[in-house]
Amino acid sequence: MITKLTELAEKAISSGKKTRIAVAVAEDNNTINAILRATNNGFVSPILIGNKDKISALLPSEINPDKLQIMNITDPAMAVKEAVRMVRDNEADVLMKGLVGTETFLKAVLDKEKGLLPPKAIMSYTCALEIPKYNKLLFVSDTAVLINPDLNQKIAMINYSVAMARKFGIEKPKVALISATEKVSPSMPETLDYSLLCKMAERGQIRNCLVDGPLDIFLACDPNSLAVKGIQSSLEGDSDILIFPNLDSANSFYKGLMLFGGGELAGLICGTTKPVIVMSRSESENSKYYCIALSCLMAEEK
Amino acid sequence: MQISKLDQMFDVLATRPKKRLVAAWGVDSHTILAAYMAVEKELIEATLVGDEKMILSVCKEHNLNCSRFNIVHCPGDTKSAALAVEMINQGKGDFLMKGLISTDRYMKAILNKECGLMDPGAILSHVTVTESKHYHKLLIVGDVAIIPLPDLNQKIAITNYLIKTANILGIKNPKVGLLSASEQTLPKITSSADAAIIAKMAQRGQIKGAIVEGPLGLDMILDRESALIKGVDSPVCGDADCILFPNIEAGNTFYKTIIKLAKSELGAIVMGARVPCVLTSRGDSECSKLYSIALAAMLA
Repeated sequence: MITKLTELAEKAISSGKKTRIAVAVAEDNNTINAILRATNNGFVSPILIGNKDKISALLPSEINPDKLQIMNITDPAMAVKEAVRMVRDNEADVLMKGLVGTETFLKAVLDKEKGLLPPKAIMSYTCALEIPKYNKLLFVSDTAVLINPDLNQKIAMINYSVAMARKFGIEKPKVALISATEKVSPSMPETLDYSLLCKMAERGQIRNCLVDGPLDIFLACDPNSLAVKGIQSSLEGDSDILIFPNLDSANSFYKGLMLFGGGELAGLICGTTKPVIVMSRSESENSKYYCIALSCLMAEEK
Repeated sequence: MQISKLDQMFDVLATRPKKRLVAAWGVDSHTILAAYMAVEKELIEATLVGDEKMILSVCKEHNLNCSRFNIVHCPGDTKSAALAVEMINQGKGDFLMKGLISTDRYMKAILNKECGLMDPGAILSHVTVTESKHYHKLLIVGDVAIIPLPDLNQKIAITNYLIKTANILGIKNPKVGLLSASEQTLPKITSSADAAIIAKMAQRGQIKGAIVEGPLGLDMILDRESALIKGVDSPVCGDADCILFPNIEAGNTFYKTIIKLAKSELGAIVMGARVPCVLTSRGDSECSKLYSIALAAMLA
């Protein structure tokens, strides 16, 4: 079982595989540095797509541009399209966003004919957080894509997060559905959805996990709080996955931890046919590296 | 004492101070005979509010000792209902019974905002206790008569009434099955979604004193084997004390089916008012009317 993000990177290194990552518009330092670190550690074979002159200028002096696969496409939208095509046509295993607007990037990913999302599939975002004060990784969704997920989208969020946690070796992850309170109240609509999700898991309609909610963060992650409040939860305050009711809460939760809690993360777009890396520029160097390692783990055939 | 047969209510009532029934426009033979039976069995005391001449003539016709009743003369059904309700509010009676008055007018008297029997925000609902030879315990079900299509809030109220009724009958921590067509959680089917929500509320202690499970099909509520075959292992399945029906058609059809095809008996009352209210139908058997009065007396 992987309990730290360093172990995630080690696993990618020890796999001996080189995951082919198509980087769309690889024209910024952040992207180049992260991808070169993974390349130097031997688990990534990058395809850098974009303005070749700009890319070459960004490469450290000890790197010979001729030893890297660089495709010269100067128009960002075209570069993204080509990157997506390569992943579609199995010329690459992972897609990664570089210096291009998220809108342009996702438009190509979501394209019905030439994109990476199967028909009717839901796109979402899960990240694995490593926090000094928690004894294992904490998977959190949705921190980036779904703004106000409905019931169906929440089901997808759970399934994607469970699939990711299982890749980390957690056989039956514990999924907490987060709200401000553990009580069910029609005035808090997510608590109604949560009741349905719990029952669906109980009835085998959502598999491979234990689900409980509504729970607040204390009750989800701290057995003492459960005892103090006298609440029974199948998760026993030992959650692996936190599902948030909306983007605002999930995003604030992870950013708060990154900034004040000394956390690191590895996150990925879920729901696409192959892993897609979209990172915020404000993420730490380590987190960017972990995102790439995560994509390699998720790109592995079962 | 845990009551597992309806007539055991008589034994319990015999040991308690008698509760006082007030019959609104109790001038017909159905009402008077049922009340008389209950009085003769020493279960209750009864006041008949209505036209004295009509009451006396029914008593004479059936050879009843009219001094067993407290008769309050009042001309007219609507006035009698208002007077009966007023008597309850004045503490002169412990529970209400419908006489020859239409259900509509009877309910109006109960629901009257100024001088009725409702507390603000209270939900009026119907609880039926059935006894069937083919089931090992009483089944307490609702709502089969008043709320056509209960919303979530009303379903919660009904669930609490079912639990309260079970408690009054000595059934501690009753098992409540929440009916839907299937045990699967189907978000588009309201009965299924509401059942999942109510079950979770019970798990969180927002509905107290019961084991609540749902959604469940009726087969799974009544038969443990059926539940296990479908992979549901709940203490409620096959041993339910209470069933919450998602709508009046389902509940009404259920109780009428077991009455007509499974030789069942029942007692029923209206809950949610300040006192229990008896609402028997003229089509009910003599036994059922007596059980309904006894049930109201138990709850009063």
